[in-house]
Amino acid sequence: MCLAIPGQVCELISEKRVMIDITGVKREADTSLLDEALEIGDYVLVHTGFIISKLDPEQAKEDLKLWEEILSS
Amino acid sequence: MSGPIQKYKDKEIVNALIKKIRQKTEKIGKKIRIMHVCGTHEHDVVKAGLRSLIPKEIDLIAGPGCPVCVSSAQDVDEVLWVADNHNVTITTFGDMMRVPGSRESLYQAQGRGVDVRVVYGVSDSIKIAEEMPEKDVVFFSVGFETTSCVTAAEVVRTNLPNFSIYSSHKVIPPAMELLLQREDIEFQGYLAPGHVSTIIGIKPYEFIPEKYNFPVAIAGFEPVDILMGILSLVNQIDEETPIVDNAYGRWVKHEGNTAALRTMNEAYILSDARWRGLGVFPMTGHEINDKYAHIDAKKKYDIPELAAVDLQSGCICDEILIGKSKPNQCKLFNKACRPDHPIGACMVSHEGTCNVAATYEEITWD
Repeated sequence: MCLAIPGQVCELISEKRVMIDITGVKREADTSLLDEALEIGDYVLVHTGFIISKLDPEQAKEDLKLWEEILSS
Repeated sequence: MSGPIQKYKDKEIVNALIKKIRQKTEKIGKKIRIMHVCGTHEHDVVKAGLRSLIPKEIDLIAGPGCPVCVSSAQDVDEVLWVADNHNVTITTFGDMMRVPGSRESLYQAQGRGVDVRVVYGVSDSIKIAEEMPEKDVVFFSVGFETTSCVTAAEVVRTNLPNFSIYSSHKVIPPAMELLLQREDIEFQGYLAPGHVSTIIGIKPYEFIPEKYNFPVAIAGFEPVDILMGILSLVNQIDEETPIVDNAYGRWVKHEGNTAALRTMNEAYILSDARWRGLGVFPMTGHEINDKYAHIDAKKKYDIPELAAVDLQSGCICDEILIGKSKPNQCKLFNKACRPDHPIGACMVSHEGTCNVAATYEEITWD
């Protein structure tokens, strides 16, 4: 039920609506529950038509670094 | 998207993580029970076969994390009472359709002519109400914070005379505290739900290590995410340094989603909530704030006191929901109670513990 799907912002439609590309499928999403501004190319998490989180790219890079450490230890 | 997502399923990383978890488990040298409180975790753990990959000393148990499963029969009964007595259209999530009420589910009621429609979310329900202004529409809203914040966004901005919401929302951290206080369930760590945490952030869990000296790790849903969470918990257990570890940092911010929290605070008030078979848990529900009474179905319709039956004869959903029993310990499991014919709520949703166990048979529960 708390399933949320990651996608990439591909179009800014209006103040509260953006188009999201979810592995090739395009869907509109509502941005009312997000304080941060969105730009084309941002990765976001979509739940029942609303964006609930914006990816922190720095943190995602940290994940990759951590895995490298785990793989090499 | 396929590139980054595949990384989170990478076999090499999965194997390396399992090796690390095994080393720690051997060092700890005793059985470790970890509870998750998320239906999506249960589904994804079983689908990826993670229980068969992690050391057998780790018992990963499913807590009350499926909002559909924990919805009380009384909530279903009350929604159907409104449908029968006020001739309204009911809209809800597909998962709710087969959830048993005391006498019937929404699906069964649909069979006798009640207008029940499945929607993707609250916004679709509002569209239906706009399209037929002559008829009342009630959105039966269930869910933890991930879902209820979305409903909150519509509570604060929608003003349609023929649209209202029946709130069956639950909040997870106080329920986690109640489970810690029970002496009949023993476990050593909480795997906290990633998507609820994108909304609420870290703070609502902090009382768990502080007050109960108990480890928490927030985890995502890909195999690597879940294993990172388990690794964090075994590390915390071994080092006796319980914290709230955010192992899903790419999506979960320390402060959570500030806009969603603000909207929920505006739309809801904390209230007692009925959990299926478990009774009323104080301050674990979100009712609609009096300020928005016009959209609250519980205030709009004068619902009488109804005597409800949460558990049909033989059903042990109450024990399944808190990880006290496993599906194959129920004598109805996969016999009278099946995914195509659920008797208990845990068999309904594809994220319900019994439904998952019945769907992915190769996973054995010991």
